[in-house]
Amino acid sequence: MEFRPILLSLKQNKFLSLLISVQVMLTVTVLSIATSITVETLKAWNMPSGLDHENIVSVRTQFFDPEVNLANAIVNDVNRIKQIPGVIEVTPNQEIPFDAGRPSKVYLSSEQDAEGFDTNFFDMNVDGHKVLGLTLIAGRFFNQTEVIQSSAEQATPVSVVMISQDMAKELFKDHSPLGKTLYLAKESQPVQIIGVYSNFMNGERLNGRGKSYHTIMRPQVIWQHGNNPNYLIKVEQGSAASLFEPITQALYQTPGRYIYGIEKLTRTQKRMYDGRGSQGAILLVVSLVLVLIAGFGVAGLVSFLITQRQKQIGIRRALGATKWSVIRYFIVENSMLTIFGLLMGTLLTMLFSYLMTQGSGQSFLSFSQVLYCSVFIWLINIAAVWLPARRAAKVSPAIVTRSA
Amino acid sequence: MLVYNFTLALRSLRERIQLTILMVLAIAIGIGLLITVQTMSYQGDKIPLAHKADKIFFVQADNRDIGAEPIVRQPFMTYLTYRDANNIINADTPASKHTTVWKSDVILNSFDQDVRPFRASTVVTNNNFFSMFDVPFQYGGAWSESADRGAEPVVILTKESNDLLFGGKNSVGQQLRVNALTVTVVGVMAEWNLGRRFYDESYRMGRKDTAFIPDTFAIKNNINRRERLDCLPQDRDKQTAYRTKDVDGLINSECTFVRLWAELPDPNLADQYREFLTQYVMSQKELGRFPRELNNYVTSLYTMVTLRNELNGSRNPLAYIAPLFFIVCLLNAIGILLAKFMRKSKEVSLRRALGAKKWVLMTQYLFEVLIVGVLGGIVGTALAYLGLQGMLHVQIYQSDYAVTAQALSHAFALDWVMMAKSILTAMVSSVVIGLYPIWRVVNIAPASQLKSQ
Amino acid sequence: MLRMENVSKIFRTELIETHALRDVNLHIKKGEFVSITGPSGSGKTTFLNLAGLLETFEQGDYFLDGVNVKGMSDNQISALRNEKIGFVFQSFNLIPDLPLFDNVDVPLRYRGFNRGERKERIENALEIVGLSSRLKHLPTQLSGGQQQRVAIARAIAGDPAFLLADEPTGNLDSMMAQSVMELLEKINDNGTTIIMVTHDDQLAKRAGRNIQIFDGQVSDIALDSSDVLIKRA
Ligand SMILES: Nc1ncnc2c1ncn2[C@@H]1O[C@H](COP(=O)(O)OP(=O)(O)O)[C@@H](O)[C@H]1O
Ligand SMILES: [Mg+2]
Repeated sequence: MEFRPILLSLKQNKFLSLLISVQVMLTVTVLSIATSITVETLKAWNMPSGLDHENIVSVRTQFFDPEVNLANAIVNDVNRIKQIPGVIEVTPNQEIPFDAGRPSKVYLSSEQDAEGFDTNFFDMNVDGHKVLGLTLIAGRFFNQTEVIQSSAEQATPVSVVMISQDMAKELFKDHSPLGKTLYLAKESQPVQIIGVYSNFMNGERLNGRGKSYHTIMRPQVIWQHGNNPNYLIKVEQGSAASLFEPITQALYQTPGRYIYGIEKLTRTQKRMYDGRGSQGAILLVVSLVLVLIAGFGVAGLVSFLITQRQKQIGIRRALGATKWSVIRYFIVENSMLTIFGLLMGTLLTMLFSYLMTQGSGQSFLSFSQVLYCSVFIWLINIAAVWLPARRAAKVSPAIVTRSA
Repeated sequence: MLVYNFTLALRSLRERIQLTILMVLAIAIGIGLLITVQTMSYQGDKIPLAHKADKIFFVQADNRDIGAEPIVRQPFMTYLTYRDANNIINADTPASKHTTVWKSDVILNSFDQDVRPFRASTVVTNNNFFSMFDVPFQYGGAWSESADRGAEPVVILTKESNDLLFGGKNSVGQQLRVNALTVTVVGVMAEWNLGRRFYDESYRMGRKDTAFIPDTFAIKNNINRRERLDCLPQDRDKQTAYRTKDVDGLINSECTFVRLWAELPDPNLADQYREFLTQYVMSQKELGRFPRELNNYVTSLYTMVTLRNELNGSRNPLAYIAPLFFIVCLLNAIGILLAKFMRKSKEVSLRRALGAKKWVLMTQYLFEVLIVGVLGGIVGTALAYLGLQGMLHVQIYQSDYAVTAQALSHAFALDWVMMAKSILTAMVSSVVIGLYPIWRVVNIAPASQLKSQ
Repeated sequence: MLRMENVSKIFRTELIETHALRDVNLHIKKGEFVSITGPSGSGKTTFLNLAGLLETFEQGDYFLDGVNVKGMSDNQISALRNEKIGFVFQSFNLIPDLPLFDNVDVPLRYRGFNRGERKERIENALEIVGLSSRLKHLPTQLSGGQQQRVAIARAIAGDPAFLLADEPTGNLDSMMAQSVMELLEKINDNGTTIIMVTHDDQLAKRAGRNIQIFDGQVSDIALDSSDVLIKRA
């Protein structure tokens, strides 16, 4: 390879060479930071929900009138909603899939220092699994007698629960969870696992910790003023949007309440991902624009270098260079500058990621990301020299005899 | 001479118009992103209520356990107990006014059956709130001091909630219900462009509070507390009850949840106020309260916001990326400029041979880069405008359309300051990138290029 | 040896066609020293370009060392040029970024010689032209005559069968021209065929054979006793 002549020639064109390298350095820094952050933010992004979310409606409602009899209200709500044509099943609920709140911990033993496992509890009635459309993996679903329906003051804890497939795997590895006991809190009574259902998405928090499907279903409908259940409603294919109004009307038949929101679970899912998604998208768009600009810049600089060296190219051709060796010369030259820029860029990236994470302490940088970005930029740069270099190869060797 | 040089510069720009366009675009794109990001942080860092931010003070006194965690970030320390807030308000202090703030969610429901009830994010405060924070009114005004004393059932609505409840009509004197309690409207706020909502320390820009009720009324009727209660150990197990049920227990407890704001007639009185606060806490210590060492803070709104800004400053990765991006764009422009100028080597050496002085050439090329810079700045400002609109819409999308473009637009607004900054940055950087190419071109020896090639 | 049969070269631009060479028939034998003279614009350089494979032609046949170059691919022609032909130009045409050593190295690299052989050849060639001591200098640090000697070293380093020179002394004063001419003669004595375009009648006469070109047509004048074909179109 012609490293030596290229290096010697670069020595004579320091400024332009440096310009290319610095450009590559900054581009790879931005691209590495942007993609590392994006990959980190989009980790576990848009995972399968395990739900027919387009056909499940979620209603959030509260009572402001303390005189309302909640027990009756809930029974009425469920009956009224069920009678609406198009509604298939309904269950009162607390947590909403895609929007589950702060995770709880469950334990396999009652010891003080037992290891806790993150999960979200989903409290529903006996129809809950039908609303969510869950598949039974092992054991059985709840029966009516196991469901606790009570005000918060009088509620007794549930004695049985079902757990999701992933939860089962984490808690019991390959053993069957059926009949095993679980502690839903420290110093609580043990509950028995009677079944395992197919995975569905809990919410952003556990999703961020890679535990998207860790859920436990409790057969209970508990009410309290200021904290009464919401409803999840399974509806006929495609009819969700048209049922918002009938459902709202049915609920407003009980005075003293307001409806905070009614939506398809699809929208809840969008909300779960949209922050991360749009941040990732912005970063990616910005860095792609940057790569494009840098690519054009490199192409421009190379074509300037080539115009300046027309004569030199002719001489080389006259002295026996084939067209390909002219192209190769520029690709090798550019690659040397690029690789130098990439090495400097890697250092700069490390510096920046250090500065950016000084506050939070956890690094987002992944070296494989930096490597991919480097290779990508290298390829882009080869593409950027390709056209000008092809033009260079067309320089006729006869120009050497055209003096003046 | 200058005019001649200017026309030469213009001609040269027109000569290879594609290169000129490329250069302008390179600068414009870089400026566009830079100004987009800078405008967001400039608007985001703006001090709300700037004209009196040095006279409004946030009052904090640490009433936590001895074993509690040390204070690392002062503005995020706990608030005051209900008791202490009231004691301080009633004491003889250098402050001309005090107001307290805590938040609740209430359901506003009209007597009109056609209007569906809705949940309002609610500020629980006293009448000083409205004068201290310059709240503008569309109809009516703040409730009276006697309303505070008498725990009167009054409410102040915002434009949004008045639109929903009363169709935007003047509703002063009308009645509605807060949860199940009948209250009378005393005022409807006009559009209140606060920037960031500092008074509850959320510093939110989007969703606004939509109802304001007197603290005395809220306590008397046990309106729920949407606040984190920070209690001394003896009260910790009653926290849940305190939030929703046991209001009498709460106001006599050692649980903090009240923000206290003081307005001083003169910023210099802050030290005097601190003195007072120390005395107050010392006197309470004698009663066996305030178990920790003294951690009192009397912080101006200005300082509070500044501390907050510092904390937020490094969050946005775009804040790091934009300057690098800009530099890459400038490097590109240098490349193009160099190519353009070096093509003219012959012309320059001829001019030099014909007697052009260096500085004359220099001004011609300076004109050329300056024109490019101004154009880049103008196009860049336009791009920044588009970028900000884009960011605004991303923000609206992220909030799941819960905030309106109108409520957020001030945070994404390009004002004259930023426009000037944009064009100035473009001009300065165009000169900077022009330095090397111009130096190269004016140092071409006269007639050196005239012999062979 | 080099043989052209009915070779013509026409330059077509949008406006005009220039018949730069018309029906050239020519035979140059191994070891000859041929000078080419003629008025400016008559086609001397064009002839040299064709002979040196720098330019393609449409009509006729051209045999270089017995191989017909017509229809060869660009890569084959490049290789042939690299191996058989050395060039010396009026404007030296050294690569300004490279020191002498590396300038001479250029054709040798394309030839694919290994490192040791390249080094030996470069040192030999520079020694022949008397510049061994200045390997690391850049072309701009040398005088014109010295630059031209480097060009000659570069031309002969690969031991080409032919050395083509286009007004090699055109940019030099007479002293320097003299020494360059002597160098060329020395190279010719070693068996390299030389074809040299020149304006200088004195120099032209020192060649063994002179070819004149007028308006693209070749007339051949033998200056010594060697057999010469005079062909006219
Ligand atoms: N690349 C070219 N395109 C068009 N015309 C050319 C080109 N090269 C040479 N010519 C024309 O061919 C003729 C011969 O040129 P040239 O061989 O350079 O003459 P000489 O070297 O004898 O001065 C001239 O009329 C010249 O204008
Ligand atoms: Mg000529």
